[in-house]
Amino acid sequence: MATTLRRYISVLLIALLALGSFPVAAAQTTGLVSTQAALEADSASEERERIHDILARADVQEQLLAQGVNPEEVKARVAALSDSEAKQMAQQLEAMPAGAGVIAALFAVFVILLVTDILGLTDVYPFTR
Amino acid sequence: MYIRLLAKQMRHTDLNDARSAGILLCFIVSILLSGCASRPALLESTYQTLPSHVELNDVPFHPQVKYQCGPATLAMVLNHQGVDASVERLIPQVFIPGRDGSVQPEMLATARRYERIAFPIRGTLDSLLTHLAGDDPVVVMQNLSLPAWPMWHYAVAIGYDLPNETLILRSGEIERHMLSFSRFDATWARTERWGFVIAPPGEVPAGISPKRAMDAISAYEALHGANAALPSWKALTQRQPNNAMGFFALSNAYYALNQVDDARETLIQATNIDPELGVAWLNLGLLYLAQERLAKAEQTINKAAQLPGPWQERAASLLKTL
Repeated sequence: MATTLRRYISVLLIALLALGSFPVAAAQTTGLVSTQAALEADSASEERERIHDILARADVQEQLLAQGVNPEEVKARVAALSDSEAKQMAQQLEAMPAGAGVIAALFAVFVILLVTDILGLTDVYPFTR
Repeated sequence: MYIRLLAKQMRHTDLNDARSAGILLCFIVSILLSGCASRPALLESTYQTLPSHVELNDVPFHPQVKYQCGPATLAMVLNHQGVDASVERLIPQVFIPGRDGSVQPEMLATARRYERIAFPIRGTLDSLLTHLAGDDPVVVMQNLSLPAWPMWHYAVAIGYDLPNETLILRSGEIERHMLSFSRFDATWARTERWGFVIAPPGEVPAGISPKRAMDAISAYEALHGANAALPSWKALTQRQPNNAMGFFALSNAYYALNQVDDARETLIQATNIDPELGVAWLNLGLLYLAQERLAKAEQTINKAAQLPGPWQERAASLLKTL
């Protein structure tokens, strides 16, 4: 179902882009190179790039929903991402480190981390000091 | 809290587990003893220029609940700047339930939603201390554990003591977590020393790399528009007067606000600072073209077409149409 939805969104977005009804910076009228495009040193067609960006955002939105993010919050969260952040998350959200600060470790690991804590290499158990 | 979790698991362990643990332990100890945590070397200039003791006592403390160190750290730095942001509100904005945590891009993006720009800092202990000395608390990401069993964690660095070589953090449930430089650096190095400071529009903290400053302001501009980002682009050109790309970006913001003359003058500054910046020549040519100053346009686009780089081709093909 998700794929169908995505395909539907893509078609819709491409149509929207083609109609030129997207809020495009005024720079587009003279064809000025935008700051984001220049930062990515990206001379590829800006139209094509924008479609990629939008697909990446649709992808991130889907992944966040699948990870239990509240549907009412997800749009604003994706909108706040820059193009490159959205791409990064679309490609590797699963593998990205997520700051949580809790560990569920096996006994063997517990002992190792205890030792590395005492050696000053880790900071898992503050009671070691 | 996680200690209790471990204790529960320990009860389930059998002898076999204990034996393999013993073997592993011997192995690890023998490796580690050969390379104990060493003191990270600070630059001589750090000792000479920074105060020996800094602690930003006015950074509020929000203890972390469950896995939510991301929302807690963001609330601390936002509140420190007078932004009204609560942990409860931040949780649905930055926490990912399926990952039991918050990811780096969303930490930066969420600051943006509160009209603050998040600037990733240079990944050195020197630069971390310099930001603290400059009154900016720094959100740092650490892996408190080993790479094989990561324990990703966000904390807010609020101070340091140079003679004692300790860092002071608001971390987890601890309001004043004191860590030796070496232990902190070991945990910080595992995230490639990732951290960020936040600033309101119109301020660019000292010591941010040109590329990261550009990315941060550009992302803010994409969300809030050229008008909101203009003060930051101006601040960037003042903070980094040799960063031609900063002038390029400022010119685009001017143009988006229909200040065409300012846009043109700023682009000329960009080409003065870096005559090799093809994209600035190209935009300058396009501006002249829009103003129907054809001779100027041709001359400028010709310049862009001669400079190797990603924009050369576009400039060359544009030149042919003139």
